Amino acid sequence: MEATSETKNPNPSTVSTESNSKTKGKNSTFEFCKVCKLNHNQGRRHNYFPNHVKSLSSFLSRFQSKLADIRFFLKNPSLLRPELASHNRFWCVFCESDVTEHGSSFACENGISHLASADHFKNLKTFMWKHGGGMDRIDRFRVSEADLAKYEKKCISMKKEGASEQSRGPLIGPSNDIHNELKFDYVDNFDRSHNSSFPNGVLPLQNHTNEKYQVSHSDISGSYDNKSLLLATDAMHSNNYKGNAGKSCLNKSHLQNGQVYAEKGEANGEGSSAGLQKLTQITSTVHGADSGIGNVHSGAPPPWFDTTNAIHFDPVKKPVKSKLNPKRVGAAWAEKRKIEMEMERKGELPANKFDASWLPNFGRVWQSGSRKDSRKEFQVETKKPLKDEINQSHDSTIQLQPYISKRMRRESNNE
Amino acid sequence: MSYLLRTLTKKEEVDSMIRDTIDKLLVLRFGRSSDSVCLQLDDILSKSEREVSKFASIALVDVDSEEIQVYIKYFDITLIPSTIFFFNAHHMKMDSGSADHTKWVGAFHRKQDFIDVVEEIFRGAMKGKLIVNCPLPPERIPKFQLLYKDV
Repeated sequence: MEATSETKNPNPSTVSTESNSKTKGKNSTFEFCKVCKLNHNQGRRHNYFPNHVKSLSSFLSRFQSKLADIRFFLKNPSLLRPELASHNRFWCVFCESDVTEHGSSFACENGISHLASADHFKNLKTFMWKHGGGMDRIDRFRVSEADLAKYEKKCISMKKEGASEQSRGPLIGPSNDIHNELKFDYVDNFDRSHNSSFPNGVLPLQNHTNEKYQVSHSDISGSYDNKSLLLATDAMHSNNYKGNAGKSCLNKSHLQNGQVYAEKGEANGEGSSAGLQKLTQITSTVHGADSGIGNVHSGAPPPWFDTTNAIHFDPVKKPVKSKLNPKRVGAAWAEKRKIEMEMERKGELPANKFDASWLPNFGRVWQSGSRKDSRKEFQVETKKPLKDEINQSHDSTIQLQPYISKRMRRESNNE
Repeated sequence: MSYLLRTLTKKEEVDSMIRDTIDKLLVLRFGRSSDSVCLQLDDILSKSEREVSKFASIALVDVDSEEIQVYIKYFDITLIPSTIFFFNAHHMKMDSGSADHTKWVGAFHRKQDFIDVVEEIFRGAMKGKLIVNCPLPPERIPKFQLLYKDV
């Protein structure tokens, strides 16, 4: 299309020099229109070509359809699983940048913040000015501050709920914490936790690994109450905060860890293995909160036995697809029946819909003609017997009685 | 012996067996499992079922069942055991030198005889023949006397 518009005026510079001699020098320079994906030397006039207008409207509507998803999440924010973050990204055509969702805990969070940003607004305005989109349409391609504020409010409330529920498992937990604190705090925290866990030395680690198994046993048999679990999580959080606050040497934090665990253990009254109980109990909370359906202990079916959407493979697919003689006995019938059976298997035809009086072809002993004939013969015979008996009875009566004419009968009656 | 093979007692079962056996020979044995000759035949059938399973399927039909009577009448079964062969819902005949070509009356002498007969009928059917000659020597074909009602 653009090519035709180009070929229409093969020497556009001459035309343009006639029309506006002021921008003569500019016209000879080519520039790339990224909407039409085309190099042109039309200058600003290009924006008014019908092809450009058409492609610009399709370009904008395409991007708007992409924004529709983001606007949905703007209205009702939802948590973003960290493993799905890589899928959830979009290309901002105005800023020509890829907006990824890495490190955001809500769906399209980064996208929304990008759309609300001043940079995006500036780029958008430039784009609209350059390609003639119309400044009144700018609001469609960005997120207003009011909307962003609402969204953030919603996010915070959701986050709080999530934190109180603690239902999303250990993976979401820390990402919620990111929101509570500032980013660099989180990083700090992360480093700290790593530091404290690794060089904590040999002793606590040994304790953990040793006691994990014993504890898990005692857990299964013993307490499953939520209070203790909450306590445990609280303890963990407080421990983290302590670790955060007390920017001290590693030994110190280690000591704190020990103290916290010990206290918790005393509160629960569950022996010396309290340090590891926390871990095992958290896993159990995850199971308890998520399942609702049951787990191994409650005898629920394992997830890979999900019968609802199980793909049922038919064991009898097809006998053997070999080259069969087309002149074999009942070839046509076999082909027809095969299709019927296939349809019955798929449920398109009701199975066994043939009538009860169906009979196979059968050649009888004293029979000439096709097999079908003997079947018809038999069907006639089965209907006949009653008729035969009636006929025979009639015959016998007639044979027994000699013929009496009407007149004679009348006479006899009169007499 | 009958528990080794599928026993049909209803007309619909026989119908669907005949209709759904496609491009395979269907062997229907009409008889009753208490009969000694039937037992002998059933033994041969059950032993050879696996060997002929690629081109034939075997089923037993109980002649004492009420719903089967229409087939008993249709197939003119007067002696048990009677074995009838079908291919693609078409009746297969065999000329064995006896009076009745429509069915095999009596038991086979040995397993190989049955397999030979089944194979011969299958080969004939694949060539489009509705009647085949019996591959067995006459001394191994059971003799019987047909008594016709009207003759």
